[in-house]
Amino acid sequence: MRRVSPVRSTMLWAAAAFCLVALSACGNNSSNGSSGGGTLTIQGDAGNPTLVENFNPFQGSALHGFNLIYEPLEIPSPIDGSYTPFLATGYKFSDPKTLVYTIRQGVKWSDGKDFTPADVVFTFNLLKKYPALDSKGVWQQISGVSASGNDVTVNFSAPNVPFASSIAQTTIVPQHLWSSMSDPVKDPNTKPVGTGPFMLDQFAPTQYSLKKNTNYWQADKIAPSEVVFPAQASNQSTNQLDVVSGKFDWSYNFLPDVKTTYVSRDPAHNQYWFPAGGTIGLYLNLTKRPYSDVNFRKGISMALDRTTIATKAVNGYLDQASMSGLILPNLKKWLDPSLPNQGLVKQDTAGAQAAFAQAGYTTQGGKLMSNGKQATMSIVMPGNFSDWVAAAKEVVNQLGAVGIAATLDLPQYAQYSSAIQGGTFDAAIGGFGGSGDPYTDFDVALASSFATPVNTPTANNFERFKDPAVDQALATLASSTDQSAQQQATYTLEQAMYNKVPIVLMYYGGSWGLFSTKRFTGWPSASNPYTLPTSYNNSLLTVVTHITKA
Amino acid sequence: MNYVVRKGTLFLITLWGAITLNFLLPRLMPGSPVDAALARLASSGVPITNAERQAVEIQLGSPHASLLSQYGDYLSGIVHLNFGSSYSFPSETVAQTIGKAAPWTLGLVGVTTIVAFIIGTLLGVYAGWRRGKTADTTVTLGATFLAAFPPFWLGLLLLYVLAFKLSLFPIKGGYNPGETPNLSPSFLADAVYHSILPALTLAITTLSGWVFGMRNNMINTLGEDYVTFAEANGLRTRTIALLYAARNAILPNVTAFGLSLGAVVGGSVLVEGVFSYPGLGNLLYIAVSNHDFPLMQALFLVITVSMLVAIFVVDLLYVRLDPRVRQA
Repeated sequence: MRRVSPVRSTMLWAAAAFCLVALSACGNNSSNGSSGGGTLTIQGDAGNPTLVENFNPFQGSALHGFNLIYEPLEIPSPIDGSYTPFLATGYKFSDPKTLVYTIRQGVKWSDGKDFTPADVVFTFNLLKKYPALDSKGVWQQISGVSASGNDVTVNFSAPNVPFASSIAQTTIVPQHLWSSMSDPVKDPNTKPVGTGPFMLDQFAPTQYSLKKNTNYWQADKIAPSEVVFPAQASNQSTNQLDVVSGKFDWSYNFLPDVKTTYVSRDPAHNQYWFPAGGTIGLYLNLTKRPYSDVNFRKGISMALDRTTIATKAVNGYLDQASMSGLILPNLKKWLDPSLPNQGLVKQDTAGAQAAFAQAGYTTQGGKLMSNGKQATMSIVMPGNFSDWVAAAKEVVNQLGAVGIAATLDLPQYAQYSSAIQGGTFDAAIGGFGGSGDPYTDFDVALASSFATPVNTPTANNFERFKDPAVDQALATLASSTDQSAQQQATYTLEQAMYNKVPIVLMYYGGSWGLFSTKRFTGWPSASNPYTLPTSYNNSLLTVVTHITKA
Repeated sequence: MNYVVRKGTLFLITLWGAITLNFLLPRLMPGSPVDAALARLASSGVPITNAERQAVEIQLGSPHASLLSQYGDYLSGIVHLNFGSSYSFPSETVAQTIGKAAPWTLGLVGVTTIVAFIIGTLLGVYAGWRRGKTADTTVTLGATFLAAFPPFWLGLLLLYVLAFKLSLFPIKGGYNPGETPNLSPSFLADAVYHSILPALTLAITTLSGWVFGMRNNMINTLGEDYVTFAEANGLRTRTIALLYAARNAILPNVTAFGLSLGAVVGGSVLVEGVFSYPGLGNLLYIAVSNHDFPLMQALFLVITVSMLVAIFVVDLLYVRLDPRVRQA
């Protein structure tokens, strides 16, 4: 496991170079951090129509700004999984069940008190005491947390090396304030005290602002003196008008024809970056015939022209997905070199028909028939996910061309969710992967432990895939700290995805970052992909520690 | 007096029915608040795991009690004006959430409804009096044209042209971002400025209803014998138009006005949505889409009760306006 992230060291050099060029500015900043810098405006939370003040980092309704007030131990890049250290300076598995973090020294809470390893232990014990706060299920994996000197040791109940990512991203809160909070589950924490680069300045129902924490342990890396989050309107078209009229330095929005609608409004400053944030696939119910037949699934996979689907769904901003299950090129270091064409499956109607024939289906009069009955498929997805619906319409057309009578089922999200969780669907559009870590991606999609019987809800592995070889590979990945063993186990998973087609992966789902370089530069981009441009999670902290004044 | 008692009893029975329906309907909707909360998380890109679901279930304390015991709690809650805390805004009580949104809707929709009623009715009187003349044609044609606009569409049009293209008005909200609502003159001026576009949208699209109603009633009334008699007596035109014809013609419009005042509390979901206005209509939309039972129930309750009260008041008002009712 790498100790110092390459991103971080590049950043240090960039910061050093920047200081040389703009000597006076940096000098001022370190002695008097709040001067200069200027205001960074980020499109904020959905207002609906007004915001409710909540900076409790463990609640789903917390305002996004908490990510700049509090810090986790480390943040893994959602692109390639590499770690950027924050409150820890590094970590090490002393064995697959024992994870040791070295805690950063000299860090202060924004009220002036010292941050200590005891705060870390307190935070994890808080999650144990209040399971409602433990949204990552940390205490389902670990058995204890203890501090000794500068180290904090996390003991796992079973080997789970990749789960270190969830441990590392746990937001750390101050013991001296939270230990006396009467009900942390309900408390909106309106006077947040954290270790992060910003402190709450003003809250108003339609906008909140944060001011720079001059005692921040890497205050010299923080360019803005203030961050403002205006609430989003309840009307999505108004938000798009706000975006194109240049109200934000950073926003997160899908815009059709972005070059005309956004970039051309200020070509010198407006940039966009729409990297792959996950994979959108066609989930087939493996408990139902004919989808339980691997040859039938292969036939469907070959019958699809994924490039056209991607064009219809996401304007062609992103391309067809690799059937390896990896988001490429982000995770190419894990890619099995034996997979043909990097796992990209091209449309092959003849091949599809051959596969259908092996599954007992032949084309008669333009219909794919078996035992006198035409193959049918009802595809379910939430009716308001317009990109999924556009993709599914194209899937219906293309399956129709090979003789399958496919139809769309477009309920509300709640019904969609109960259909996929209960396993009562034929086919469903759904997301896959995007965690930046192959183990997590494959585990939630393929582990047989999630494959509950039909009508017993599961939160993962909706298609109900079961394969002992895959479970074995997942177990190896979970317990191994050895690079080549991890590599081999990942290859096994990719081959299972490619050859057994548990999910027909179609195209990459986008992450819609829109930036202006008018006031700040150094945004994540294709040439410097240090994180995804998501402005609603801990990428906020990663980005704010990377950008510099324009 | 008998009339008032009868109306009062009817009011109470209807109220009980409405309250009970209000309890049942949200629970018949498919899906649960937990699913809705998870959907919100999922749409913002958070991967949903079993652990996440458990945490949300504990946070919301979603209802597992029997329907009957929920109904009992609900009734006693209403009596004590205690609606619990909402799922969408966990740190506030439902009463607080509604209290924050109510002034905006009452101000915007209430004032607009009254203004539209007055202008529309006067225009209707005028058009009815000058029936068949150019004035009548102009008013009727104009009203028909305006009535054809769906409110949200007109709202989007005004928003795009006046707020986005010409930047004459703010694009969203009830006041400048970053302000906290207060009663200072500068804030009130800002609030009025923000309300112009939504008010215009509502006024334009509701005006024509009053015009048509009043004009048609006027024309009917003007054919009555007592109007001819008054004309034959040589009374002044204005006296005949306002005191003889309009006073009788306005009765159906008053009923409709009472109903629309009752409906004000429900806000205008679409128009408030288009302008991201911080009122009750928007709140209702959030409550429904989040399966927020406590908030939804309280809102529907407020809407039904104000509607029933409005009808009751109109009934009582009729005793004053229309002597015929008193004998019934």
